[in-house]
Amino acid sequence: MGRDTRRSRLVIAALLVLAFTLITLDYRTGDSATGVRGVLHSAVGGVENAVTTVTRPVGRTVSSLTHPNRYHDRADRLGEENAALRRQIADGAEIDRLAGDLSDLRLLADKGQYTIVPARVIAVGDVTGMDWTVTINAGRRDGLAVDKVVVNASGLVGTVASVTDSTAVIKLLCDPTSRIGARLETTQLLGAVAGGQGPSSLTFTLYDASYQVKKGDRLVTFGSLDYVAGVPIGEVTKVVDVGGLSRTAEVRPFVSVGTLDMVGVVIGGPPADPGDRVLPPRPAPAPDAAQPPAGQPSAPAQPDGAQQPAGQPQAGQPQAGQPQGGQAQGGAGVPAAAGAG
Amino acid sequence: MWDTGTSEESLHPRTFVAAVVVLLVAVVLQVSVVARLGAPLGRPDLVLVLLAIIALIEGPMLGAVLGFAVGLVADLLSTHVIGQTALVLCLVGYLVGLVMNAAERSIVVPLAAVGAAAALGTLGHAATTSILGDAALTGGQAIVRAIAAGLYALLVTPFLFPLAAAASRRLHGDRRRV
Repeated sequence: MGRDTRRSRLVIAALLVLAFTLITLDYRTGDSATGVRGVLHSAVGGVENAVTTVTRPVGRTVSSLTHPNRYHDRADRLGEENAALRRQIADGAEIDRLAGDLSDLRLLADKGQYTIVPARVIAVGDVTGMDWTVTINAGRRDGLAVDKVVVNASGLVGTVASVTDSTAVIKLLCDPTSRIGARLETTQLLGAVAGGQGPSSLTFTLYDASYQVKKGDRLVTFGSLDYVAGVPIGEVTKVVDVGGLSRTAEVRPFVSVGTLDMVGVVIGGPPADPGDRVLPPRPAPAPDAAQPPAGQPSAPAQPDGAQQPAGQPQAGQPQAGQPQGGQAQGGAGVPAAAGAG
Repeated sequence: MWDTGTSEESLHPRTFVAAVVVLLVAVVLQVSVVARLGAPLGRPDLVLVLLAIIALIEGPMLGAVLGFAVGLVADLLSTHVIGQTALVLCLVGYLVGLVMNAAERSIVVPLAAVGAAAALGTLGHAATTSILGDAALTGGQAIVRAIAAGLYALLVTPFLFPLAAAASRRLHGDRRRV
């Protein structure tokens, strides 16, 4: 039978050379095959959408049929009826879940006055499992464009990386190339959130080195021309010291990227910065406690408690040595948030 | 190209087309179904498993060509550099094809070969991604995921390998009759 002959060696050598040529070309030129990619994406996107539509009910049917039914052969009719009813119940549960997801998403959109296009995830990543992307079943036809922010009921999911007519690829916020401008809750301090640490950890870098990031601080998007402001990103879980200054922190995103299903693409933002009102309320603010996060035993860098009166919206301003210049846009946002809340 | 009996050296159009179709279906199933299952530790890699099984049955030549073709499609469907998946799958198909003779002797050989292909292929993906772009995973995560992919491959191979072998016999038998 076939083994390592001269011909097969020749073929593999030719293919390897071809692969390296492609890699070099694409690496050097960047977007060398966008046209081909677009065509292939729209073709496969349709198939993926169909497969997902088909496999969801099939999975439910299989799960409803695996319930043991010892008298199936004696009461075929009853068994079938039973299975049909189970299927209906499973469908009902699925519809309830979807409706819940959708109303949660609407709630977040209403809080921030975002205009969203709801969509569902039809493919996760790529074949190699190394791309932190998902494909959704909404595209240019629904008003999507590249760089729009994608949210779900919990917060920021990522940004649109590419669109075809009816599908779009979302770059998740944990992608190593993802960088999103972020703002610390209740303050006007800016930084950037980057991915690359796996699905459940982000890196936040504060631009202002004189401010100490604390565990439990929460982040929202800062907003720019493409990105809407005020979308919840995550919560600081660990402060990493860089040269004695607590500028870098690990952030746990609010969104769990492993279980994404219903998402919304923000295609229009509010006229004014929504401030912090999109963030979920703190669980138990503990009014006389020194630090805002409830039940946090240690606060390593806390000079005195008077500076942190329980994380109220106006509490960010009296911080000593905290520069106020250069953040005019956010400065307008906080009074708006206080007025709306 | 059309040698006499030792046909395994050439690419049979029907086998090739059937294998390409199977692998393209696997590409779609991988991203739309398998990746959504949320399997613990990592994910089963349907494409690597099927490619390895086909290469074991049909030999290094088909394995390499098939791996390259399917890898290229996967590259075009992804956001990373074109050619990196083609490179990894081409090598996996070729290397697994080299042990096709041993695979006929014992059931352990296909199991080990497919498991190793899934694990090493996953590591290869991680390595090319970190060399050519930004590392999507840390080293530890990549190793855990590779081991998980290998174990999942061991689980599904006993079901898929006999199926593929039967399909291959059928395709070859039909061709001889024609």
